[in-house]
Amino acid sequence: MLVSALSQGPSSGADALLPTSITLDNFRFVLAEAGFLRYLANSLAVAGLTVAGSGVLALLAAVAVARFRFRLRTTVLVMVLIVQMVPLEALVIPLFLQVRDLQLLNSLLGLAAVYIALALPFAVWMLRGFAAAVPAEVEEAAYIDGCSWGRMFWSVLLPLVAPGLVATSVFSFITAWNEFILALTFMNDSDQYTVAVGLRQFFGQYTTDWGSVMAASTVITLPVMVFFLLVQRGLVAGLTRGAVR
Amino acid sequence: MADPRTARPAGAPADPGPAPRAGGARTGPRRPRLSARTRRRWLPWTLLAPALAVIATLLLAPLARVVWLSVQDYGLDNVVSGRSDYIGLDNYADLLTDRYLWTVALPNTAVFALVAVAGTVAFGTLVALLLNTLARPARTAVLGCILIAWAMPAVSGTYVWIWIFDVDDGPVRHVLQAVGAVGPGGFNWFAERSAFYAIAALNVIHHGFPFVAVTVLAGLLTVPRELNEAALLDGAGAWQRFRHVTVPILRPVFAVVTVLSTIWDFKVFAQVYLMPGGSGGNRDVLNLGVWSYVRSFANQSYGLGSAVAVLLTLMLLAITVGYVRTLFRDEELR
Repeated sequence: MLVSALSQGPSSGADALLPTSITLDNFRFVLAEAGFLRYLANSLAVAGLTVAGSGVLALLAAVAVARFRFRLRTTVLVMVLIVQMVPLEALVIPLFLQVRDLQLLNSLLGLAAVYIALALPFAVWMLRGFAAAVPAEVEEAAYIDGCSWGRMFWSVLLPLVAPGLVATSVFSFITAWNEFILALTFMNDSDQYTVAVGLRQFFGQYTTDWGSVMAASTVITLPVMVFFLLVQRGLVAGLTRGAVR
Repeated sequence: MADPRTARPAGAPADPGPAPRAGGARTGPRRPRLSARTRRRWLPWTLLAPALAVIATLLLAPLARVVWLSVQDYGLDNVVSGRSDYIGLDNYADLLTDRYLWTVALPNTAVFALVAVAGTVAFGTLVALLLNTLARPARTAVLGCILIAWAMPAVSGTYVWIWIFDVDDGPVRHVLQAVGAVGPGGFNWFAERSAFYAIAALNVIHHGFPFVAVTVLAGLLTVPRELNEAALLDGAGAWQRFRHVTVPILRPVFAVVTVLSTIWDFKVFAQVYLMPGGSGGNRDVLNLGVWSYVRSFANQSYGLGSAVAVLLTLMLLAITVGYVRTLFRDEELR
């Protein structure tokens, strides 16, 4: 009971709990008048770039560490692991200065580039498990059939690692979709707000329009939920496989 | 060293290595083998290069720069001019002699993390145990709900918790007022440090328990059923079975989950920043991360903000070393 209260209450039940009778007015206001569609489009663009960029880079890197033995391999792995622990609070100041120097403040591209870097370590770590799980015999068989390494990568490794790629994309997507500090710091122009930052607009200093806040929160959560539900099977398989190691 | 990849024919079209194409696949036995080996050495690095370049420029370089900033008196004029003002360890001296660090920011960070981690791991484990006893359709349904809690952005989750405890309109106030626990004036949960962090802890636990639940569930599925059956035959109760069968087997899983949660809960930001007073209005409720941010961007003293950030990073690094050790203890990377 507690589970459903905690997990369902805030996301879907929020509107039902509101004392006033619920209409779709809040949603209409949020989407049509408050410019939330713009934030949604911005977030989708940034998250899409992040998923694509981190997916490709992480896949290549994961294959390298999983299918090859080379010097410094362990060092690379440990570095990837440690980088993941660096708090965003420590990076936000230098990243702000760096992005500003590159004239990429207020740019969705600049934000996406940073998100790709943020999503990469976890993606590499996760995909590594999938790439390592492909039996060596499968790879050998491909070579015996005369496959080049590139062919083998495309037609043998890639399909087998695909479920892992699905799980990784979900996490990269969520990283970009939910991220708050950097989006808050980089985007001064309200046209470039992502949903996480745009939501703040409804949260007033003295009075808060809770109807709008909740409607907007629901709108924000929906895409992630849909994405999650679409890939749920692959995701849970990926999670459990990654977790047990 | 018996690696199937040495048997691979040379001169692949996608070959990024320096293997000479002219060598051909079936000509002299000597050159192709040599080139294949060269390529085998360079291929992994070629694959790694893009990812490493991105990590180096956007994560490692900023990390170095924050350390460099922390030994400067870097204010708004420096931001504009780009000139640096080296002052050695003054920022750290200021920071470490500041009573605020020891009485407010550090306790807010560490005590909160401790409570939140304990709550997350305990609740997540309970949910995992529950999931483990459910039949497949029910399990999938509950798992779906849990994943939604996980996927919900921290920002909207935080707003929901703020609303629940809202001074004027929150459901908690209505309930408390109905039973006569608070007067008509209501009660401001956010004004007081411990109440503020209790709400933050609820929020973080709600957001973080799914990860623990899913991970522990994955571990539970690997526990051989015979062990539990044997314990049951010996007359062990549910708690005893959990304590003496499950916990020892899942020790590594618990270790990883605890350390990861600790790292995450140490650097909680949006959940504090967005709550009333959390962005600097109420100095009693800032944690290290928010303090660093407020120092840098609201007070325009980037040097001191950086010093706070470096301090937080060092603390996390210490925890991370423990994490890496735990991981490396179970073979696998070698």
